[in-house]
Amino acid sequence: MTEQSEEQEGQKNIIPPITLTLGHLYPDQLNLYGDRGNILTLQQRCRWRGIQLRVVELGIGDALDPDAYDLLFIGGGQDRDQAPVAQDLYETKSIGLWAAIEDDMPVLAVCGGYQLLAHYYRPASGSDLKGLGVFDAWTIHRGARAPRCIGDIAIQWNGQTLVGFENHGGQTYLGTAKPLGKVLKGYGNNAQDGTEGASYRNAFGTYLHGSLLPKNPHFADHLIELALKRSYGLNWREGLGTMNGAKTPDEQRNGTITSPEEWKELPIPESVKKPGVTIDPLVKLMSLDDSLEWEAHSAILERLGLHNAASAVLRSR
Amino acid sequence: MQHDRPVRPTRRDARKERRVSSKKVTSTVEVGEPETAQIDAPDEVQTSTPPRRISTRARSSLRASLAVVGGRTAGALSRRLLLGGGTSIAGVVAQRLYPDIIEHLSTQLQQGSILVTGTNGKTTTSGFIAAILRDAGLRVWRNREGSNLLRGIAGALVIRTQPNGRLRRAGQAISIFEVDEAVMPQAVRVIPARVVVFTNLFRDQLDRYGEVDSVLERWQQAIAALAPETTLVLNADDPTIANLGRGFAGRVIYFGIEDSTQGVERQGGANDRHQVMDTRVCPNCGHEYSYTLRLYSHIGHYRCPNCGEGRPRVDVAGGDIEAIAFDRLRIQVELPDRRGEIIVPLPGLYNVYNALAAVATAQALEIAWEPTASGIEQFKPAFGRGERVQTEGRTIRMLLAKNPTGFNEVLRTLFTDGSKRHMLFVLNDNIADGRDISWIWDVDFEQALPGFASLTIAGTRARDLALRLKYAGLNAREMTVAPSMPLRAERQEMHAVSGQRRARQANRQRAARGATIAAEDAPLRTQEIAQGSTAEKVYGIARALDKAISQTPEGETLFVVPTYTGLLEVHHELERRGLTPHYWEETGP
Repeated sequence: MTEQSEEQEGQKNIIPPITLTLGHLYPDQLNLYGDRGNILTLQQRCRWRGIQLRVVELGIGDALDPDAYDLLFIGGGQDRDQAPVAQDLYETKSIGLWAAIEDDMPVLAVCGGYQLLAHYYRPASGSDLKGLGVFDAWTIHRGARAPRCIGDIAIQWNGQTLVGFENHGGQTYLGTAKPLGKVLKGYGNNAQDGTEGASYRNAFGTYLHGSLLPKNPHFADHLIELALKRSYGLNWREGLGTMNGAKTPDEQRNGTITSPEEWKELPIPESVKKPGVTIDPLVKLMSLDDSLEWEAHSAILERLGLHNAASAVLRSR
Repeated sequence: MQHDRPVRPTRRDARKERRVSSKKVTSTVEVGEPETAQIDAPDEVQTSTPPRRISTRARSSLRASLAVVGGRTAGALSRRLLLGGGTSIAGVVAQRLYPDIIEHLSTQLQQGSILVTGTNGKTTTSGFIAAILRDAGLRVWRNREGSNLLRGIAGALVIRTQPNGRLRRAGQAISIFEVDEAVMPQAVRVIPARVVVFTNLFRDQLDRYGEVDSVLERWQQAIAALAPETTLVLNADDPTIANLGRGFAGRVIYFGIEDSTQGVERQGGANDRHQVMDTRVCPNCGHEYSYTLRLYSHIGHYRCPNCGEGRPRVDVAGGDIEAIAFDRLRIQVELPDRRGEIIVPLPGLYNVYNALAAVATAQALEIAWEPTASGIEQFKPAFGRGERVQTEGRTIRMLLAKNPTGFNEVLRTLFTDGSKRHMLFVLNDNIADGRDISWIWDVDFEQALPGFASLTIAGTRARDLALRLKYAGLNAREMTVAPSMPLRAERQEMHAVSGQRRARQANRQRAARGATIAAEDAPLRTQEIAQGSTAEKVYGIARALDKAISQTPEGETLFVVPTYTGLLEVHHELERRGLTPHYWEETGP
């Protein structure tokens, strides 16, 4: 294992790590475009900071308990796998997912997952797939003759760039939904209006894969921060140190845990209540050596001809 | 389809023919630039128009000769100019001059044709079949790997055709064509195939082929167009492939592995989870398959618990697989009428499947057991499929890996026995490799992790692969990253640093003219370079290869795992160093 993580492991021995739980929706059906890379990135970036990220896989038929998770991920899949997923998402998980999103849980939905969080997906032939309507948006596939949106893409998000690869036949149109970002180079939602993705509260939908998070460490950290803030209180250190009326995720979960064995490993956050104990991630996410990440990020910007943006990324580090 | 009566060759013609064949026109090797199928490319569709029954046979024959002469001239020119093997360009020109050229020529093959397609194993399977048929005394014609679009096939035929539009010695020759997955419907329409082999179907180049389902649809179209005299050879252990045989009017031969034992690991445990499956559900009822044996990805013994459809009865069954050495596997093969043993001179379970596909094809052609077994044992790996090159006391072995399943199988073959390996990965995203490299996140590098004795990562997307390995848990210091090119921003930074240094130096020289500043300047310079982001970096395949070789101690093996165009680059580089022959000079069939 890496030295970086060993150092962090040392820290773990003194203080039980903070735990975040990620619900990975439909890992068996929606995994077409390297979606595992996004999970791995969240897991490692937490780990390197002494945060434990547990991944719970939620397949077809599994209920989604909004109190059991700190963040959610849903990837993209093949058309033939999409229909049973859409049905299950609507019938089994919709209420839990709506509740989680309204409660500001960070959710990342890529490609097919993004389409299923909008109102509907209208395939070239066959009936519409009903989505959850989290984003006021809809997707239409105009048939095999309409060109697919395929290629590298860069967007402007929060004053920074996000890079990835897009490959979608469906065109997404936004109603009142806010786009995730503005297309700098590439197609985006529909190759016409210059928007890419959608966001609502802390839920983010996007066509960017490649995988998205490894080359966009700032976005990965943004999701982790949102999860920490939401689950451990706004003033993280304060919230944990004095409890301040806020419940820890464990306390929140106490009434809802169905299988006790599963939670046995959960660290008890008692130790962090001790005054004077400082844990980096509770104050601010410890910065990591991301030179490789930013190089890969800049390489995409450069191949899209965005040289100024690429230099800016490399300079700002 | 008989065209006009062949012209009796004069003595002069025969002489010309001998001269031509002595010039190695028969070698069929791809051009340097690999072809790619653009789905629905108009020029491919063109050839699928129903054959025009031109009343004047003479005219079609004339067009054929014109096409042949034109194509061969272009091919010869391309070889002369060292642009490449010239096979594909010959095909392109011939097809342009006479769109029905493939049909015109392939119908002259009296021994018929074998088509091999599938995501992985096309080249090795065709190689095994070729070795068996040669041992059985047949003359074998092949298109070379990479030239597997219709123009490559056209080229392979055209270079064996006389200027009068007739194939040379067509009566004794059997042809094996490896065919790109996407052009199968067109290929079966113009080539009357005796045997069609489907190896497997995995996700591959999603940006080019689309999803797995769209390839499957094309194959179903292709099978619907086959004559009932055709024999299908299908992998019983791949549910999608096995399903292709249901409802086919002609003969179907299924091959599969009964059990894998002794030294060839089956899939299990934690790794299982991370291997994506591209076929999960029964096409009849949509229920998920259940497996009694899973060998890799979705390959294994499956059954639908809902409707009962499952793995078909197997006609060519491999079992008791025993690894005699890293790249020698002993397999017991059960045929309907006998048992036999084959030695596969290649590593990995995936090559066992390739060998079994070849045995099944031999069965379809009623080839005796002797040449079947000896052909496979004698097989010489195609370039990049386990081929060996010696340099500076080290052995270089090349193992192509172009999609997640292929990559996983290469890693599993190399690392299951716990050995430490010296590795060079080359990840390119040129059109022939697929522009989308997100698949590297589906490769289970974690299984190989403690096994790198040294690791160099090269290619146009080396940075992405390095990132993949970092997130697998490898320390950035444990790998050498050698991308094809430095970033422009890095180059500018480098220039800026040296510019500042020049300015500072000039200032100092002005300030202290005559004073010795060289001594204090020297450490400053090294410090600056060490701090600069471009310090200690290497770029390009040649440097990457040097680095990887230097990290491999003498007497040991460096395993090179490249994508398709990465393989070509490595080969060009080795060729430049005089380590391998020009690939179009390799012994043709």
